[in-house]
Amino acid sequence: MTPTATTGVLGDFFLPQDALAAAEKVRAAGWTHFDMLTPFPVHGMDEAMGQPRSWIPYATGGLALTGILLAQGLQNYVMVYDWPMNFGGKPHFSWPAFVPITFELMVLCAAIGSAILAIIAGKKDTVPQPPPMRVTTGATGDRFVLWIAGTDPKFQADEAARFVQSLGAADVRVVNLEGGRDA
Amino acid sequence: MTRHDVRPYATVMDDRQLTGRPIVVAGAGPYGGDLEVAEPLVTGAKRWADVDRDIALPAETFPTKRWWIAFSVALACLSLLVFGLITLFYSGMGILGVNQPVGWGSFIINFVFWIGIGHAGTLISAVLYLFRQQWRTGINRAAEAMTLFAVACAGVFPVVHLGRPWFAYWLVPYPNARGPLWINFNSPLAWDIFAISTYGLVSLTFWYLGLLPDLATLRDRATHPWRKALYNAMSFGWTGSNRAWKHYESAYMVLAALATPLVFSVHTIVSFDFATSVIPGWHTTIFPPYFVIGAIFSGFAMVITLMTFMRGYFGMTSYITINHMENMAKILMLTGMLVGFAYSTEFFMAWYSGSEWEGFVFRNRAFGPYWWAYAIMFTCNAIIPQVFWFKAMRRHTLVLFVVSILVNVGMWFERFVIVVTSLHRDYLPSSWGMYALTRWDYMILVGSFGLFFTLFLLFVRVLPVVAMSEVKGVMDPEVAHGGPRPVAAAVPQEG
Repeated sequence: MTPTATTGVLGDFFLPQDALAAAEKVRAAGWTHFDMLTPFPVHGMDEAMGQPRSWIPYATGGLALTGILLAQGLQNYVMVYDWPMNFGGKPHFSWPAFVPITFELMVLCAAIGSAILAIIAGKKDTVPQPPPMRVTTGATGDRFVLWIAGTDPKFQADEAARFVQSLGAADVRVVNLEGGRDA
Repeated sequence: MTRHDVRPYATVMDDRQLTGRPIVVAGAGPYGGDLEVAEPLVTGAKRWADVDRDIALPAETFPTKRWWIAFSVALACLSLLVFGLITLFYSGMGILGVNQPVGWGSFIINFVFWIGIGHAGTLISAVLYLFRQQWRTGINRAAEAMTLFAVACAGVFPVVHLGRPWFAYWLVPYPNARGPLWINFNSPLAWDIFAISTYGLVSLTFWYLGLLPDLATLRDRATHPWRKALYNAMSFGWTGSNRAWKHYESAYMVLAALATPLVFSVHTIVSFDFATSVIPGWHTTIFPPYFVIGAIFSGFAMVITLMTFMRGYFGMTSYITINHMENMAKILMLTGMLVGFAYSTEFFMAWYSGSEWEGFVFRNRAFGPYWWAYAIMFTCNAIIPQVFWFKAMRRHTLVLFVVSILVNVGMWFERFVIVVTSLHRDYLPSSWGMYALTRWDYMILVGSFGLFFTLFLLFVRVLPVVAMSEVKGVMDPEVAHGGPRPVAAAVPQEG
């Protein structure tokens, strides 16, 4: 069921270690639709939240291979098949000369592809209902903000707010906006 | 000189109080001994909220008078580039100093010079990241921007050097209507196209990825809805979610790991332009490492120049501290000695190879008609950075600034020596000649600095010059947090 209103609870923490401890407690208490918004990556937060490792490096490997094949394909097609020329009696298939461009295209495909994928993954890999953009969380400044989404099976606004309060959050805000997730 | 204190960061509130040595906390070590704590990377007892305010301010307010003065000077230099290039396109290559036998002149020198400048930015952003050098956070954004602008300046020169720059797209391999006509993939000049364009694009990606969280900070600080919408689009709606950070950090690490060999490959391939030829003085196996180390050397000199400027002129001393400058001075001295070692090795090999031509070229370099260029190169690059053996010199702003300028001069002359002295006297004495820059060469050289500084000043004006999210990550949370507790400079718990 997609909720018609974006509901959830935000709780602010001031220190990364407090946020880390809170994330562990939220996870231990059985919440699943929660996220931690931080101004900088907090070491150990993935483990505290029970997040699996990012799959980006595997994608990088695939992209690197794509770049290698692209470069080898292009150079061999041109130099051996489409337009074989005699340069100082050297063989048409002079693979050492193809190494620099192969390396460069490998790096190009892997680097740019990984960056684009990381941005897309960051947008897709969210809780079913991320905090609405209209709410300024302060997490890009100096707050470490816990978000428990209203879609969580355990969620009941008062109870969730009390739970976040019990974690020691400084500022607990109940979000209830009409109009869905991108309101 | 060591300082003893129970609240170490409380003793360092100002750039001038930094000593470059650890602070000793008596009795706080794991077994009851003294604990040595590194000096803070950000001075002034800054909190995270202060970081946002200080760094975002130039982008949110009307530029200062100081900025306008600097920008006017840069723009005036840039106009020289535009005027010089228009004249060049109108009149042709004859207005330049290149001729037989020196067919590669100031444009190739400038190209290698600018590409080299860029290398320090990638070294700071990628290599120091992999080595977990936390001090890089204060300077990496500006250094990466420097890389991009240096590559932009470098990119101008091979294109105009073509003589018919309107055919520059012929360098790109694509199916075309000129017959099945392709570039020659055995040519180092074709490798160069791929190396430089990859370097430019990957540097841009790396830089922009680093900017994402900071653009989101600017968005959340913005009050005007248009600004908010613009920064939101530019940051791809970044919220700071830990799930996004996870992928982001993974990609950042991967990019650093890819950029590290890339930075070494780029100047290696640039050196192949020379080393694969049969010209004595160019045809040597030392060229790839020699070029790479020279590039890092000159790049660090330019970073020091720019950071001195940022500290002194724009007052960024809290984030770019004198300790940062000292670290860079150390790298400058190390790479300067490596460059000096390369000069000596070249001479040794010229003698040891027993090659008559090689020996002549090197005697001619040091004692021939261009001895003065060689002397400038050797003095500025191998001798002057030796002042950094002294700590006081490494921490003296004026010394740093002057040495960094001299190193840049020296590195420009290194490329002059390599390009010109190898060509002007080759195998046949009947075809010997001399090379001198014309006023147009000088105009375009000065103009390229105008392009560089114009771009850099625009960057300083519109984007956060220090990586805010990264700097926050290396600050002591006990001091920097935004909570109501009093800011007590606490003893770091983990040491």
